[in-house]
Amino acid sequence: MLDFDAATKRFGPVTALDRCTFSARPGRLTGFLGPNGAGKTTAMRAVFGLVELDGGAVRWHGAPVRAADRARFGYMPEERGLYPRMRVRDQLVYLGQLCGRRPGDVNRCVGTWLERLGLADRAADRLDALSHGNQQRVQLIAALVNEPDLLVLDEPFSGLDPIAMTAMGELLSDLTAAGATVLFSSHQLDLVQDLCQDVVIIEHGRIVLAGELAELRAKVPDRFVDIRYRGPAPDWSRLTPATVVEADDSQVRLRVGRDTDVAAVLAAVRDRADLVSFTYQPPTLSELFREAVAA
Amino acid sequence: MNGAGQAWLVARREMRERSRSRAFQASVVLMAVAVAAVLILPALLKPGSTRNIGVTGPAPAALAATIAQQAHAAGITARIRPYAGLAAGEQAVRQGQVNVLVTDARRLEWKGQPDEQLKAVVTGAIQLATVRERAAAAGISTGALAALLTPVPVTSVQLGSAPGRSPGDETAVLVMTVVLFFGISVFGQMVLTGVLEEKASRVVEVLLARIPPRALLAGKIAGIGLLGLAQIGVTALAALVAVATVHSIDVPAIRGSVLVWVLVWFVLGYALYATVYGALGSLGSRVEDAQSVAAPVTVVLMVAYFASFVTIGNPAGAAARALSYIPLSAPMAMPGRIAMGAAAWWEPVVSAMITLATIAGLVQLAGRVYTRAILHAGPALSLRDVWRDRTASGRAGGGASSPDTEAARRQAEVAAGEETTMTRADLTRHRWLMTVLTGAGVLLGVAVAVFANDVIIGVAAGAGFIAIANRMVGLRARHTGPPAAHR
Repeated sequence: MLDFDAATKRFGPVTALDRCTFSARPGRLTGFLGPNGAGKTTAMRAVFGLVELDGGAVRWHGAPVRAADRARFGYMPEERGLYPRMRVRDQLVYLGQLCGRRPGDVNRCVGTWLERLGLADRAADRLDALSHGNQQRVQLIAALVNEPDLLVLDEPFSGLDPIAMTAMGELLSDLTAAGATVLFSSHQLDLVQDLCQDVVIIEHGRIVLAGELAELRAKVPDRFVDIRYRGPAPDWSRLTPATVVEADDSQVRLRVGRDTDVAAVLAAVRDRADLVSFTYQPPTLSELFREAVAA
Repeated sequence: MNGAGQAWLVARREMRERSRSRAFQASVVLMAVAVAAVLILPALLKPGSTRNIGVTGPAPAALAATIAQQAHAAGITARIRPYAGLAAGEQAVRQGQVNVLVTDARRLEWKGQPDEQLKAVVTGAIQLATVRERAAAAGISTGALAALLTPVPVTSVQLGSAPGRSPGDETAVLVMTVVLFFGISVFGQMVLTGVLEEKASRVVEVLLARIPPRALLAGKIAGIGLLGLAQIGVTALAALVAVATVHSIDVPAIRGSVLVWVLVWFVLGYALYATVYGALGSLGSRVEDAQSVAAPVTVVLMVAYFASFVTIGNPAGAAARALSYIPLSAPMAMPGRIAMGAAAWWEPVVSAMITLATIAGLVQLAGRVYTRAILHAGPALSLRDVWRDRTASGRAGGGASSPDTEAARRQAEVAAGEETTMTRADLTRHRWLMTVLTGAGVLLGVAVAVFANDVIIGVAAGAGFIAIANRMVGLRARHTGPPAAHR
């Protein structure tokens, strides 16, 4: 369990982190969201002591993070970087050993990951001989060489093609399923909504929303009804107390109250229109995000 | 794992990766060979002890025997070759079959410059043989003549600048000073560029998430230093072997105890300069910044190096004494004084203590600078920025800058990205250029030494060439740097 407890960091006149309090729990994937410059990277760096906090603390299992804890953490910084002229396997084994792991264990671990990410035949090549995508994979393995209990990834999905994105998502889900605590930042909100159990949203150094995603969505008083239909458009406002969010001549998105009787709405729609599809759901993460950040 | 264990891992990586480089392997061999060559060159240049002497025309009957006798007294084996005619004799001189042709017992013909020693021997023999012939004609008895003409053996000795030391020792000390400067500057600058490369490639953030900054810097300095110690050790061993195997040279300046001091002073000098270089390296943001952030230290090192040459001319003088106690120059000045026998046993010990204390202080400062500057992104920092602390180091947090500045920075980085790959190729070219220029300098030195018949001038010419070439390449690198930095 990783806890930010009123973590505060000032850079001159700028407050990068303003009494940030949130948690990332083991066995759960936590998405860390916020506009550019909101303080995500600073917060992540604070976990590794790369940024010294002016106030508050980052705790691991209830105690302030110590060097011995960090040996069990994995980190992928936003600015990717490894030794360009060092061989892939040597490099990864070296980084693993820096975490205090025995050479044999690291070697085995590196071998497994290289195999899994399809890089086994490139192990003896210099890093700069690899393609950009493969270098990204090596960077990911660099964060995993110590089989971390806590994995912190800054924008792990940026620069990946759709297939690599799916693979990365699966990998993160597998790691969480195995009991790791995973915190990652991203701007791909749809992807985060699909992957994460928990989200944290930060804006101007302040945490504006944090918690279990499903719960956060459910807590919002609004629900959304998406209807696709054929034929002339009925007068939607007469259905039930609803607001039209957007509409064109074959579909409409309505905002209704949380306690609306869905079955009644559906029945009313079927009476008035030639229904193609009907969905009823709480706001998406994108909507939560925009609302939270705009507030 | 503790910091020391991690520092050792860092050091091991530096040694492994760097010792794989062909340039490093070549420089180890080149330096050992060059130093050994310079030391034994005087012995090889000294002509052998056998001389061929051609004789033609009328001459006293005993001339051949007298020449042989006189030559023997001067430690030369003379082989006399009679020639029937002047033309045949001169032909032999031209073809180098004889060193000198004695014509009619009154003229010596040489190919090029006369060999002064041989000239004296032959002239003396001619006088002697002629006097003997005249004495016999005048009826002086052989016994009385022998008593009269017994030659007085005259020896000559070359005085060095210090008692008990010869010009050969001065050459050795010169070589020692050059090697120490080379070691300190090359390996010190490896720390400089190494730190910058880690910062520029951003790998430093991955590393510092695992180990403390001081362990990273200490490991880097230690690893490169051990590599340097190995190179200087190989060179010292080559010098020792060269001097031991060539018996005709006698260089008391090159002996085990002196070379141990040379290694000690390399370690001290390297530790001092590498610590400063490491700290300064963290101030830059791209590899091309190396020369400009480190320029002040490089200049100090150069000045200390050139000043240290006073120890060769006057190792016991006040200037040499002072330089051998100032920590910045002691690593290059003290070994010379030790080798010249001009330092009491306690002097290097006291000076080493002073230097160690200075290093300890610098390590504290360097650790502080490095820790604050190494994660800073953006344009190169100045020492003052780092000292003023928060505002400067504050810009380290990329997340803290406003979206606009962050976007601008990113754009700048993208622009700089192309520049960086370009200049990285440039850098490799610089390294190559330096290797080639260093080789050329060594060759130039050897050539000058051969032609001028003076090893000191040769070494000075070679070292001067290398030093100037080094500065020129450095300046050129700095000139290609700024346009990118101003973007």
